Amino acid sequence: MPTASPTLAPRVALAQVPILELRKLDKRFTGTHALKAVDLAFLPGEVHSIVGENGAGKSTLIKLLTGVHVRSSGEILWQGQPAHIATPHDAIALGINAVHQEVVLCPALTVAANLFLGDEEIKYGMLRHRAMLRDAQEILDEIGFNLPAGAMLGSLTIGQQQLVATARAATRGTKFLIFDEPTAYLTRQEAAQLFALIRRLKARGVTIVYISHRLEEVFDLSDRVSILRDGELISTERIEDTNEEKLIRGMINRTIEQVFHKEAVPFGAPVIEARHLSGRGFSDVSMTVRQGEIVGLYGLIGAGRSEFVLSLFGREPATAGEILWQGKPVKIRSERDALKLGIALAPESRRDQGLCLNMPVGFNINLPILRRLTRGILIAGRPETEAAEGQISDLRIKTASRHALASSLSGGNQQKIVIGKWLNHGAKLFIFDEPTVGVDVGTKAEIYRLMGMLLKQGAGIILISSYLPEVYELSDTLHVFRTGKLVASHGHKVASHEDVLSQAIGV
Amino acid sequence: MSSTQAEPIPGARKKLSIPFGLTLVALLVFLCVLLTIFTPSFMTERNIPNLARQGAMIAILALGETFVIITAGIDLSVGAVVGFTSVIVAWLLTHDVSIWLSILITLGIGLGIGSFHAFGIVKMGLPPFIITLATLTSLRGIGLLMTNGSTISITNDTFTDFSRNDVLNSLFGIDIAPFDVPNLFAMVILVAIPAWLFLSHSRWGRYLFAVGSNAEAARLSGVSVTRTIYLAYILSSVCAAFVGLLLASRIGIGNATQAEGWELQAIASSVIGGTSLFGAVGSWHGPLLGAFILATINNGANLLNVNSFWQRIITGGLIIVIVYFDQLRRRRR
Repeated sequence: MPTASPTLAPRVALAQVPILELRKLDKRFTGTHALKAVDLAFLPGEVHSIVGENGAGKSTLIKLLTGVHVRSSGEILWQGQPAHIATPHDAIALGINAVHQEVVLCPALTVAANLFLGDEEIKYGMLRHRAMLRDAQEILDEIGFNLPAGAMLGSLTIGQQQLVATARAATRGTKFLIFDEPTAYLTRQEAAQLFALIRRLKARGVTIVYISHRLEEVFDLSDRVSILRDGELISTERIEDTNEEKLIRGMINRTIEQVFHKEAVPFGAPVIEARHLSGRGFSDVSMTVRQGEIVGLYGLIGAGRSEFVLSLFGREPATAGEILWQGKPVKIRSERDALKLGIALAPESRRDQGLCLNMPVGFNINLPILRRLTRGILIAGRPETEAAEGQISDLRIKTASRHALASSLSGGNQQKIVIGKWLNHGAKLFIFDEPTVGVDVGTKAEIYRLMGMLLKQGAGIILISSYLPEVYELSDTLHVFRTGKLVASHGHKVASHEDVLSQAIGV
Repeated sequence: MSSTQAEPIPGARKKLSIPFGLTLVALLVFLCVLLTIFTPSFMTERNIPNLARQGAMIAILALGETFVIITAGIDLSVGAVVGFTSVIVAWLLTHDVSIWLSILITLGIGLGIGSFHAFGIVKMGLPPFIITLATLTSLRGIGLLMTNGSTISITNDTFTDFSRNDVLNSLFGIDIAPFDVPNLFAMVILVAIPAWLFLSHSRWGRYLFAVGSNAEAARLSGVSVTRTIYLAYILSSVCAAFVGLLLASRIGIGNATQAEGWELQAIASSVIGGTSLFGAVGSWHGPLLGAFILATINNGANLLNVNSFWQRIITGGLIIVIVYFDQLRRRRR
């Protein structure tokens, strides 16, 4: 395999035997060659990042290592010995654990109960509640997570739940720990706690496999980084020997400028104007969104930008101030009011809020425009088919057909539906709440392209993102929120990253 | 875009070899052939129309129930609604209200009951299971209070003759008795055609699926979840009220304790017909086939002199087997 550079730099290889080694690991699903003869070695105590687009084979690799799927051919060596990992139980018995993107724990149990789930402390056949609570708190304190062991898991934020899942995976004699997009839902502080834990585990000789779309984290944490593309291992390099450009090129054959491609669309009339708007969590916010304009909102969690936007969408109506819609004063009391005016929201959590996952792709695409597809009382068959097929090809949604279930698509393609279903709808204002969380670089570029299409149709966009490069590169106007107030506004790429960040933090 | 070409297409799968609906038809035909061979009394001019009449009422009930189940809800009250509305129509007819007005009022009461369910779910936040369980028991109570626990006999012959007559005979006076379609069975067709158009070809049918699949996503797509829930429960109760009319016509009485346990038969028929209790999966034809499969099994068991206790066990076993195979089929997808 000419593209794969030597898997081990000689210096490192001298000292250590790999804890886990993959030899020509191969996985085929019906019709899909998900992983193509991958050779890869993981050393004890290293942080090894794996990067690649959605569908590049990262998830398949994790699933083979954690016993969710069984390999088609090739070998897995554990500490030099051939290992057979056929079930999750086999993997855990070896000391392989994983923290998944989505939390798979019981929300109705306490943090302590979740930590000890399946491995409870028992005396005389009874659970030792108090002892477990005490031990759980000790574990959490020891690994530096600031969490109450007695709290119900469901009462915590998603980020905190993610930390509980991490604590669980990290404290069970784990020698090999896989993180799949662990920081997608974490706040900055929580992420810092997580990184500290990773460093401590590494010092104890635990091997960490780190999968993330956030390249800055990859550079921050890793010793080595491997690139997967289309199921093939492109390269494995020491982190000092590579850079962001190189990684992106390896992943997609495209440059950063091409990713944040921004359409230059002339501005039209104002779509919506907020005048001195106040509500729960924000006060006295004024801004205008014009046709063809992307207005970016940046701020830390709890800065009030989400609350502000939800009031525009009618979820929690504003208590004071005025909203002008295309120049006329309006009251938006409910989401139905908002949708009637022509305000569409692409929500943050596509699985929970954006898609009917167990329904077909075409069904999801046409859901907002069924009224228009109806002739008399029935839905017209051909326009419906045309609308769905048109969107699938325009949006470049990778799907077997419009009849395939939305759940069968990759995350990025699902997100394209969440956004793209509004293209035919003709809404005038689009609110994008974290549109690219957990989406790979290639799909990000596609989503930005979709935004451009909406702008050209004469719509305005409000873009909320915690990912600074994204709002920074894309926004025509960038508003910075802090503690419920709009503290600064910038034109396109006028201020520096540092300025924006310090205004958001307030230093 | 060279990178997009090599990427595998997700969701690629082979076409299902046999649609589930056809499997059910095959099962029904198989049962009929089996019974024709093993009992002389199955394929007779007496039994077949009888079977069609028996299955018809549960079929309509199951169809209404399916609308609710598609929204990921459940309607436990349908059996009680049948009993209750049979009392209503009997009372109306014995008080010299005209037939058509009685029918309209009875269906209107069905509409009211469905609206009440939806109100409880949407406005009061009660789980569908609870609100319909509450009406299940209280409707029977109200019906018993109204009649003081007794039975109202229907003396209106036009009304009771309907369920015994056949289509061609009642419409054109053509008597080809055993080969005509029983009126009760024709009612299934009368309900099934609009149900098909509604579920497969109308906006509101789609909304049922959207709400059952992900209510939040449906809401953000501009679907009124409230109205959709109202629609589903009203349809279910109106279907049940309609069956109440048919039952009253067939047995010639109104009695609040009639149709005991029919809600479970309706749910079973729907599930056998491929409806998923988790919502968003279901068809218009599935529950109909399911109902007639159950009716054929019961009928066959009667003819074969199988102990009626065994019939219940067989029905239970059948539900497990069919739904298990349906699950296997879905997992392959």
